[in-house]
Amino acid sequence: MDNGSLNIQLQSGKRKKGLVLLAAAALWGTLLTGCSTPEGAAKDAGGAAPKGDVTLVIGAYSVVKDSVQDIIPLFQKKWKEETGQTVTFQESYEASGTQARAIVGGFEADVALLSLEGDIDKLTKAKLVNKDWKEKPDNGMITRSVVAIGTREGNPLGIRNFADLAKPGVKVLYPNPKTSGGAQWDINAIYGAGLKESERKTGKKDPAFAKDFLKSVHANIESLDKSGRASMAAFEYGVGDALVTYENELLARNKQGAKYEVIIPDDTILIENPAAVVDANVDKHGTREVAEAFVDFLWSEQAQKVFAENGFRPVNQTVYKAFEADYPVPPGLFDIQYLGGWKEVRESLYSKRGVWYQVLAGI
Amino acid sequence: MQTSWLRHKGWTYGFRTTVLLYFVILIVLPIAGVYVYSFSEGWAPFWENVSDPIAWKAVLLTLGLALIATLINVLLGTMIAWVLVRYRFPGRTVLNSLVDLPFALPTAVGGLMILLLLGPNSWVGGIAERLGFDIVFHQPAIVIAMVFVTFPFVIRAIQPLLEEMDASAEEASYTLGASRAATFFRVILPQILPGIIGGGMLAFSRALAEFGAVVLVAGNIPAKTLTASVFIYGEVESDNNLGAAAVSVLLLTLSLLLLWFINRVQRRGGRA
Repeated sequence: MDNGSLNIQLQSGKRKKGLVLLAAAALWGTLLTGCSTPEGAAKDAGGAAPKGDVTLVIGAYSVVKDSVQDIIPLFQKKWKEETGQTVTFQESYEASGTQARAIVGGFEADVALLSLEGDIDKLTKAKLVNKDWKEKPDNGMITRSVVAIGTREGNPLGIRNFADLAKPGVKVLYPNPKTSGGAQWDINAIYGAGLKESERKTGKKDPAFAKDFLKSVHANIESLDKSGRASMAAFEYGVGDALVTYENELLARNKQGAKYEVIIPDDTILIENPAAVVDANVDKHGTREVAEAFVDFLWSEQAQKVFAENGFRPVNQTVYKAFEADYPVPPGLFDIQYLGGWKEVRESLYSKRGVWYQVLAGI
Repeated sequence: MQTSWLRHKGWTYGFRTTVLLYFVILIVLPIAGVYVYSFSEGWAPFWENVSDPIAWKAVLLTLGLALIATLINVLLGTMIAWVLVRYRFPGRTVLNSLVDLPFALPTAVGGLMILLLLGPNSWVGGIAERLGFDIVFHQPAIVIAMVFVTFPFVIRAIQPLLEEMDASAEEASYTLGASRAATFFRVILPQILPGIIGGGMLAFSRALAEFGAVVLVAGNIPAKTLTASVFIYGEVESDNNLGAAAVSVLLLTLSLLLLWFINRVQRRGGRA
């Protein structure tokens, strides 16, 4: 706000209309961030690659940043040895949903690494990624993790599973799936643990029981954060007793010096994170060969080892064996199919008046 | 003779057209766009989005908290402007230039600072917790964030009025035996009132729209700490652009009505 213009407006007799418009302009500021398509996020992708050298544009979700930055030099070295070409990388890291929307909106990424299948589906829907992207190893999934509970050092409240989060006086943090697509995993885990519990009690999955289970945990919510990172920031500022997020996020923070007690509940969900070549963009840039090679490289033992060191559970079984002690498999582990698959989950849990909405609105 | 072309009528028209175009392109078009978009699928989906209890409670909460923040800023801002204009003390010019800093600082950083200074691990937050009330992730933190980002408006609106105030009226008031309080309320306040109202209106509108700081310090729990801007962000993130536009329209209309109303009251007061 320019101080001078404000003064002029306040002194002139006709200032009021100006003020109304100015105020409207101030409001418009939020609307711009609120409603615009992410064209603003679209970056120049560098155009077609010249012969000899090649540029690869990576659009990834923020959590995977450290791993990707470790893997890139390994790939550059390998590609140089095999073809003599130097690959330069342009990287962009955003929340998974934001990244997917940016790519749909015109950010010409060659390779997309996103936190959930649904976000790749946004790209297939926009005809950017071919429907056969799952024909890679492990159905196109490059890393795994589980939903875990992070508590204060020494776990003073003795939290062992999601049911403990519903105990009176426990302050819980998790991000809102409305603002962070990746947080759907967290809610899926709690909801699924409720389904497991009902299955043990009555012999079959009871959605009503699972909803009440989720509700009882949600009653203790202290903050519904914008993203998993925001939850951890709040927790590290001293808010709350427990947070629900991915095991790899907690391990990565611990590696940076945070002191989370990482609790893996017996019943929790297996997270799988996909990667895909963005077909429309590689064809445009003429980078298909190197993009495919990079995505394939993500399944190599070298890359899988990097993921494992950064807190992810490797999909490569040989590498997993080496890290087995760090990543025990909880006895009640279930995957998204247990909840009926992503399509079903999106409809029953996250649709407009779905279970999550009902829990939020207290219905 | 040589300068007659400078006085040509075309200049005036050209200037007017440019200014009007600027208004239309920068302000009228985008706002009209939001209205058009939110009704693009008819009245029913608009109503469905707006009548969602999570949505309208977020709007109500935002209006309430923004009002509190504005009142605080009107009181504090008037006092600070007064001190900055009327008193001479070392460091005054430095303080005066610090006033605008909240505009220069990304609001998310402001939010982080609030977390750091008032969180449970800080001594303020610690004392508050022992006394049994929470600051961060509850409504007080939202008000503090709003006060922080709208801090300069009232001060900057009042300062020039105070500076240009004719000292003789004040002196006459004292000479005629009026007390300090009476002089303030009957001589000074009426002169700075337009600044207070104008600055307050700007502060209020800005507080309604605040996102960056609020999203960090608020718990974002529906009906308790979820503000309209954060709700709108959530709708965009979950691919419900129509819902985002609908709530934006609600917020826009409410604040336009409010601004228009204050405008009328002010104009009537001016004539009386």
